[in-house]
Amino acid sequence: MTEATGVDQLITETADRLFTQICDHEAVQNAEAVGAAPEIWSAFAETGFPWISIDEDLGGSGGTLLDALEVLRLVGYHAAPIPAAETGVLGGWLLANSGHEIPAGPITVLPNGTSNIEASLSGDQMTLTGTCVRVPWARIAERIAVLVEVDGQSMVASVDPTDCVIQPMSNMAGEPRDTVCFEGTKAPAAPCVAGVNPEAFRFRGALSRAALMAGAIEKMSQLTVTYTNDRIQFGRPVARFQAVQQHLVWGAQEAAIARMAAETAGREANRGSAFFEIAAAKLITNQAAARATKACHQAHGAMGMTQEYPLHHYSRRLWSWRKEYGGDAEWSKWLGNAAISQGADGLYALVTGGSSVLS
Amino acid sequence: MSDLTEEQIRSELDSILERRSAATRLTTMGAGSDDLDDGRGYLATTVEGGWHVPTWPTQHGGRGASPSQNALIGRLLREFVVPDLYPFAIGLGMVGPALLAHGTESQQDEWLRPIASGASIWCQMFSEPEAGSDLANVALKADQDGEEWVLSGQKTWTSRAMWADWAICLARTDPDQPKHKGLTMFSLPIDTPGVEVRPLTQMNRDAHFSEVFVSDARVLDSWRIGERGEGWRVAMTVLAHERAGGGSRGGGDGNARGVRVPGWISDLQTLGVAEGQVWRDEVSEIYAHDSVSRWTSQRAADEARATGVPGPAGSGAKLRTVRSYKDRAYLANRSGGSYGMLIEGPGYIETMTAPSMSIRGGTDEIQRNILGERVLGLPGEPRLDRDAPWRESRRGLL
Repeated sequence: MTEATGVDQLITETADRLFTQICDHEAVQNAEAVGAAPEIWSAFAETGFPWISIDEDLGGSGGTLLDALEVLRLVGYHAAPIPAAETGVLGGWLLANSGHEIPAGPITVLPNGTSNIEASLSGDQMTLTGTCVRVPWARIAERIAVLVEVDGQSMVASVDPTDCVIQPMSNMAGEPRDTVCFEGTKAPAAPCVAGVNPEAFRFRGALSRAALMAGAIEKMSQLTVTYTNDRIQFGRPVARFQAVQQHLVWGAQEAAIARMAAETAGREANRGSAFFEIAAAKLITNQAAARATKACHQAHGAMGMTQEYPLHHYSRRLWSWRKEYGGDAEWSKWLGNAAISQGADGLYALVTGGSSVLS
Repeated sequence: MSDLTEEQIRSELDSILERRSAATRLTTMGAGSDDLDDGRGYLATTVEGGWHVPTWPTQHGGRGASPSQNALIGRLLREFVVPDLYPFAIGLGMVGPALLAHGTESQQDEWLRPIASGASIWCQMFSEPEAGSDLANVALKADQDGEEWVLSGQKTWTSRAMWADWAICLARTDPDQPKHKGLTMFSLPIDTPGVEVRPLTQMNRDAHFSEVFVSDARVLDSWRIGERGEGWRVAMTVLAHERAGGGSRGGGDGNARGVRVPGWISDLQTLGVAEGQVWRDEVSEIYAHDSVSRWTSQRAADEARATGVPGPAGSGAKLRTVRSYKDRAYLANRSGGSYGMLIEGPGYIETMTAPSMSIRGGTDEIQRNILGERVLGLPGEPRLDRDAPWRESRRGLL
């Protein structure tokens, strides 16, 4: 375990090596064309990575939330086309904390809430009716973890996707974001343990995206440095031009800012309440993504716009992820309200103390 | 031809074109449909009156209009439905003006009217893998063989090649001259034996750019535009017209008469975005910037019309127009909540196209260099390869 990040170094090295082997440009390109990447998922699942941070006696792989977020950072870094966040820190977390069995295959969740769904409970069976949109990877999921509130109690239903109608849709990066119709779908349901509820889920979703985005921005920055050193125009590598160097600096500093924000939020979440840090991290990574994609695309010139060069795997994911689990406006508003609620005298304490001040 | 009044022009246009309404939405330049018929129909309709390229001579599909008359016609055309002319833009906006400046009389007779009427589509074979921003580094070679030239090499980022009938092609005719001096411009039919077009798919899934492979393609000397060794000068004319946006009339939001709110803002209103104070600030800022962009472009175009040669103002106009496009795309994409991440979501095409806007037709960096050197008189970038023979300089001196 390294002092700086609190993450087991072995996890970083193993995950990075695995993705380097299985997620090359062609594999990611192909996953987009097909809408799934079963080989990549199998190799990933074989290592037990998807279930890190879920206790072993609950069917997980053990390890901390920080370890799981480090894997997500690398999923983003390699543009791995798999439902890693959904299966682990989101769906796995919901199922494990409501006494459901963790399936062997991928899990997904409903990122946009369940206000469109009617849920009725009869004993330990829930009946669901309604439509949920932009559900990540629903088409390949073995279970959909549906989090609903019934009479003020958070419940999770473990839904078999074959009992639903799934309409394939895609985000800008060509990742599945399917429409799922529940038509009187029946599924076993159970109450959640304390602290697992729609609000906590929403923040956890934002945290997962911040980790993915930090990885993707870092990779984009590195690709850009490499490309501009190789690309020769006017008799020298374009990286020697000051105007291009400015883009490289933008890319690199956004990568550093995004990673710092995501890791800080992860550390706080691993300790306890982290709403403030997560809100800030998602807003920061959203904004960093906008600036970094702009700078990295510009430094690449026309090559970065083509399918055959990998930059688009990262930029298109960032443009999609920045809108999931809260866009800029939503988190800006949340942070603004949090600051206002502390009053002028409480602002400094909030900025320095973070979520611990809010509780 | 004597100048017409605003009302006379409007009434002429009314007899051949449909008015825009607030609901009119046309496609985005370069990311539009593959439908050539709309543009072709429009150009065939307007060529008789010379309405689309008013300054061109009447016999070539224009109406010999004065600069001020041309500006007025351009403004009034925005009140009518003008389809996306993306497929035709190189011929109308770039090759045409270059032929008027550098072409022979018989070249003008042969090529201009089919451009104006939409009968022939042109593409521009300029960029190469090693000649992007550094365009003067082109390596595609042309060797003279009696009354013909033999061309071999590779071009890339050739937009519209799959539709084109003709191409203009910048070629290296004299490798022992410094890089800007050994170039010559040619025209060639795109179906010339030895020319092969391979589509290059972009990240927005658009395949309107191509690589063009040329091996021993034979081109008539009478298709050479300008003198041997003058290719760079001709290319600069073409590129200056590209920056001035000469080809881009058509498509876009336009102005329905009496309607002040542009389509992109009414779209945001439909999404309910215009309600929030912060969004309103951003919308207003973009609207203001957009208006200035439009005026800057008009000023650049007017200046070009007055002098006959587009100047550095076109670089300023392009920088502004690109920024406006990007800001609108960013706003539209964020406005739809997480719906906006879907391929079907608002601003998808614009978001995926936006990064290319500051690259195609000369990067922002190149445009700023032009402004720095030609407007502000700042010292130029060091160009150690300027006087060395291209054969030497292409290996890289710095």
